[in-house]
Amino acid sequence: MAPVIEISGLRKTYRKLMRQPHHALDGLDLEVRPGEVHGFLGPNGSGKTTTLRALLGLIGTDGGSMRILGEEVPRRLPQVVGRVGAVVESPQFFKHFSGRLTLRILAESAGIPATRVDEVLEQVGLRDQARQTVKSYSLGMRQRLAVAQSLLKRPELLVLDEPANGLDPAGIHHMRALLQWLAHEQGVTVLVSSHLLSEVQQLCDSMTIVSRGRRIVDGKVADILAGHSGSQMSVRFADPAEVSEAVEVLMEAGDNLTVTAERDRLLVSGASDPAWITKTLADRSLYLTELVTETKNLESVFLELTGTAPQAGRAVQVGQSAPAADPEMTVPTGADR
Amino acid sequence: MNLYKAEIHRFARRRLSLIFGICGFAGLLLFSAVLAFNSQTGPTEAERAEAREMADNLNADYDRCAEDEEFFEDPEHVWVSEEPHFDDMTHEEICAELFPAQAQEEDFLYVYTFHFENEGTGIISGIAVLVGLLAMLLASSVVGAEWSSGGMANLLVWHPARMRVWGAKLAAGLTVCAAAVVAVVALAFVLLYLVAALRGETGTLDAAWWQDALGRLTRSLALAMGMTVLGSSLAMLGRHTAIAGGVIAGYLVVGDLLVRLAGFALNVKFPNRFSLYTWVDAWISGRVTLRDWSGRFEETMTLTATDAGLLLGGIVLVFTALATWSFARRDAS
Ligand SMILES: Nc1ncnc2c1ncn2[C@@H]1O[C@H](COP(=O)(O)OP(=O)(O)OP(=O)(O)O)[C@@H](O)[C@H]1O
Ligand SMILES: [Mg+2]
Repeated sequence: MAPVIEISGLRKTYRKLMRQPHHALDGLDLEVRPGEVHGFLGPNGSGKTTTLRALLGLIGTDGGSMRILGEEVPRRLPQVVGRVGAVVESPQFFKHFSGRLTLRILAESAGIPATRVDEVLEQVGLRDQARQTVKSYSLGMRQRLAVAQSLLKRPELLVLDEPANGLDPAGIHHMRALLQWLAHEQGVTVLVSSHLLSEVQQLCDSMTIVSRGRRIVDGKVADILAGHSGSQMSVRFADPAEVSEAVEVLMEAGDNLTVTAERDRLLVSGASDPAWITKTLADRSLYLTELVTETKNLESVFLELTGTAPQAGRAVQVGQSAPAADPEMTVPTGADR
Repeated sequence: MNLYKAEIHRFARRRLSLIFGICGFAGLLLFSAVLAFNSQTGPTEAERAEAREMADNLNADYDRCAEDEEFFEDPEHVWVSEEPHFDDMTHEEICAELFPAQAQEEDFLYVYTFHFENEGTGIISGIAVLVGLLAMLLASSVVGAEWSSGGMANLLVWHPARMRVWGAKLAAGLTVCAAAVVAVVALAFVLLYLVAALRGETGTLDAAWWQDALGRLTRSLALAMGMTVLGSSLAMLGRHTAIAGGVIAGYLVVGDLLVRLAGFALNVKFPNRFSLYTWVDAWISGRVTLRDWSGRFEETMTLTATDAGLLLGGIVLVFTALATWSFARRDAS
């Protein structure tokens, strides 16, 4: 079946006088198949919101092509927008209107019957707060209102930017159930952005991971996790000073290895055999005192995939991540900030 | 069409609309009441008699002075001959200065009579322009608040055809403005006519009067609508209500004065032609004549409603075009 969303080579450069141009999107690709819940995952500032804004015609782009439901956008956006519900970056509403009035005006503007307003308010759990002004809403209530407005049109495609933002556990659970019901029972295609792999793992069928405005991986969530989780090995030395030397030795010796130095230990993933590590290090007169095989948690998979693993003793700056395939770029240059 | 209806709805549900509506209505009632209080249907016979007596007394004083060559030797008036100011004057001229000659009954009648035929149109068109000012603020706040609250991005997600959104917003603003002006003008007409009928003079409203009045009121309505479009455009350009309001208030209060002062300072002829108020006056009253004495002779310059229409329309058009261009091209959010 043809993809519902097709983005290829999307570019967006922010230019400011007297500054280096900033490539928020650097040839990004994204493909979403019908009827699935697709996760759009990436660290802060990786360009998720920018992509969704471009897709919905809110900002112009500097290259690349986009299609929604087979129609080229933004040129044909007005023709397909009736089939797309969207929430971009916790939208704000006029504060002095009630939640209900906000939705009624939107519904009226698109010729949707007013009865639908109460249905969606019920669906997102805002029935009892419908008459309060938006000003009095909490963060999670505003987020729910935003999702409610995206459901008004009974969309075929739902695009949600961090829908779980600000929701309590019950709200997250409810949202997950709602989205899965929409996708699997109602045939709605759902694209959700997030920076939490655990959330995506629970909610989505497939995902795309982006970093620095580029796609790094995409595919079924289960496949990606299977390919990357596996195990990692934690290596300790008697003298913590040997850690950095050991990093160099291992990087030189093995392909496809990810070696991360922590304060007093090394984390190695991608090596199949603990004996190989022991031998390689011993050949260079580095004798380890402890080698433990650990199952990687989702957090470290995400850090590994997006290249945002923290270096010992240094804070990770936004935009410092590097695509895993491009190790030179791990060096933070600061030139693009 | 749905979008237009929704925009009208948005206007109607704003608190500012309610506040302006109440203030406008109360202001109109208050104004009529004050006018009714001040106006009186001509003086009574007693007042006329009193005024006639005072005028007669003054004229008698003058006559006495003029006929009596030795009037100023009287100790009461001897100070006059010591005053150098009167040195070169004839006796009669001095008398005329001390006792205004030919005093008339009207000079002592301090009664204001509201005359609908003469004053009605001017007042009503002034009220229409004030309503236009409120409509301009309201329209700019609707657009500006939508930008600053972040609601605009959401609206554009619903309606990506930006020109349709802009068109609907302008059309809704114009509808609200026109409805408000027509309603207030009708109400003001009735109230002022009542005041005139009860406590003043209505005069005769003949065909010529109606023609002039309708012309003025139509032009006032057009001005109010132009102001509404200008308010929306400024808010669209600045993406904030305060920017639009600030620009408008700043220009009308400070900018206009500065431009006129610059005109005076540079010794330009007819400095008042740089004032927006002059052009607004010309547009509504149909013709304004400026005078200038800076040269050897008096020179005049006439501004007609057509000139003013071209200038004011041009200003509105330029800002609307800029706003349209900026909305179409710039990133939203
Ligand atoms: N209006 C703007 N002007 C300049 N730079 C911008 C603008 N909007 C976004 N950016 C830059 O584009 C990059 C991508 O931002 P974006 O909002 O898409 O990130 P994100 O993936 O949504 O992050 P988050 O997870 O924090 O929401 C960032 O580096 C940001 O600084
Ligand atoms: Mg974001």
